[in-house]
Amino acid sequence: MVLLEADKITKRFGGLVANDSISFEVKNGELLGLIGPNGAGKTTLFNCISGAHQIDSGRILFDGKDITKLNSYEVARLGLARTFQIYVASGDLNVLENIMVGCFMRTSSTAKAKSMAEAVLKELELTDIAKSMMNELPVAVQKRVTMATALGTSPKLLLLDEVAAGLNPSEIENIMTVIRYIHEKMGITVVLIEHVMEMVMKLSQRVIVLDYGKKIAEGDPSSVVRHPDVIRAYLGERYAREYAATRPDSGA
Amino acid sequence: MEDLKNAFDFSDFPRIDLIVAGAVLIFLFGFPLFPHSSFAMSTMIQFLMFSLYAMGWNTIGGFGGQVDLGQAQYLGIGAYTTAIMLVRWDTPFWISMPVGILMSVIWSFIIGYPLFRLKGHYFAIASIAASLVLKDIFEVWEFVGAARGIEILSMKYSPPDFMRLIFKEDIYYYFVILLFFIIGLLILNAFRKSRLGFQLRSIRDNEDVARSLGINVQWAKMKTYAIATAMISATGAFHACYIKNIEPEDTMSLDLSILIALMAMLGGSGSLWGPIIGAAVLVPLKSYLKALLGAASGMVGIDLIFYGGIIMLISAIEPKGIWGIVEKRRRRRRN
Ligand SMILES: Nc1ncnc2c1ncn2[C@@H]1O[C@H](COP(=O)(O)OP(=O)(O)OP(=O)(O)O)[C@@H](O)[C@H]1O
Ligand SMILES: [Mg+2]
Repeated sequence: MVLLEADKITKRFGGLVANDSISFEVKNGELLGLIGPNGAGKTTLFNCISGAHQIDSGRILFDGKDITKLNSYEVARLGLARTFQIYVASGDLNVLENIMVGCFMRTSSTAKAKSMAEAVLKELELTDIAKSMMNELPVAVQKRVTMATALGTSPKLLLLDEVAAGLNPSEIENIMTVIRYIHEKMGITVVLIEHVMEMVMKLSQRVIVLDYGKKIAEGDPSSVVRHPDVIRAYLGERYAREYAATRPDSGA
Repeated sequence: MEDLKNAFDFSDFPRIDLIVAGAVLIFLFGFPLFPHSSFAMSTMIQFLMFSLYAMGWNTIGGFGGQVDLGQAQYLGIGAYTTAIMLVRWDTPFWISMPVGILMSVIWSFIIGYPLFRLKGHYFAIASIAASLVLKDIFEVWEFVGAARGIEILSMKYSPPDFMRLIFKEDIYYYFVILLFFIIGLLILNAFRKSRLGFQLRSIRDNEDVARSLGINVQWAKMKTYAIATAMISATGAFHACYIKNIEPEDTMSLDLSILIALMAMLGGSGSLWGPIIGAAVLVPLKSYLKALLGAASGMVGIDLIFYGGIIMLISAIEPKGIWGIVEKRRRRRRN
């Protein structure tokens, strides 16, 4: 079953076409990777889908409903959650309260929101830091909390925008475990924007590649990284050689 | 009713806060029973009134981070509604006050709709401009006494009149406003823990994130603005009966709007105790300055210099005011 369907999405900023007639689908239960060079239009695509931007043309269907014209809070209420690439931690809410804000989308009761948030904290193993302020936490933990906040809304689809940026290898390993848990154990469909290729390769079932606002490739991870356009636009020859070397069986 | 339960639930504060709060409450109840000057009494009544104004402001301005500089207009609506209904139709306070609240809330939606399309400094400036419209109208509107204002002649009534809130001795006014004060505190305590309170804090944090969590930012702000205006309008209605002589200048002026915002900000915006702390510092200071300078205090400039200095101090030292400093200390000690 198709959960999200984007049909020829176009978004312009003045003369710049940040998303140029992009079409793709996300199937229910899938984990989809979204890659491409800086400025390719990945974050813009998330903004369009989630209703943060109104698109110039095209159509977006989510869970059978046309969400093209909806505001972001309306889209969120239908079950589409996201994290933000640029996140400035403030000292206003603690971790538990942050997640409660998400939970309040589904309940108006404070007691219920609190118990829902505590359940999310437990699932993501964040219970120990429930009372910490966001700006006191290491970036890796902040990223997990932003994911937890999004999960507080009990979404069907979760859009993750570079949650591994700026993390060290062991933190990346850790966040991969979290994403797997969200996808497999919690059964949430995930779209993942990521520059850390190792993560994209290991996690995604399917990958879409953007370049200059256009979709240039789509397919399973190992075939996408061998696609000549993707190598030229993004990965570079060196990555392709190294990738082939680590996976002699997959051939080149 | 979960909100009602939350209103009376202060269990998330450390014990020391509750002890101090309890002591303050005992003091507030006991104060009039001991010998006091009329100056002290009127300062205490002003303190309770300004605490309420600042509590109202704190919902939208503190928790929501929307620095509104036009709340005095709702004080004016509340005061004028009660004064006019009493003078013209002999309406009891307990009817005119809710009518004033209703008018304030309606007006707040009319003003709030365009206002909350703006953000940051633009919002603050527009909130000033919008608030002065009403004052200008009242200054020329004969029905409400134009610039002369309205006077409630207490000799027409036989005090103590609990229906019309006309008293000879200030002690009656004191206990009425103390009751308002306690109700205001309970409302703010419930707001703080309500869904709307959380949504406003999230909005203050980051509006894009708030929207992505299903929050209708504009609507949440307008609802909160209405709550703020209701609290301020109710207190304004009290102001009319207490002062008895109201004019546009002393119920709707920009000075007053700034003072209200400043008290909440100085005490600690976005906290339960902040507005009370701010009023406790600024009201006596204001009364004292007035007594000290006499007529000169009305001189344009002196109080503004003073307020300007406080704003600079807050932004330089701790944006969350006195209570922010206390909380930071506590946090440091715990870690
Ligand atoms: N709000 C905006 N206004 C104007 N231009 C924008 C806006 N948002 C994005 N752009 C432009 O659109 C293009 C795509 O940006 P986008 O942020 O989507 O890239 P990205 O693929 O997410 O890049 P990165 O990997 O660096 O995050 C860029 O040229 C960017 O400058
Ligand atoms: Mg991006």
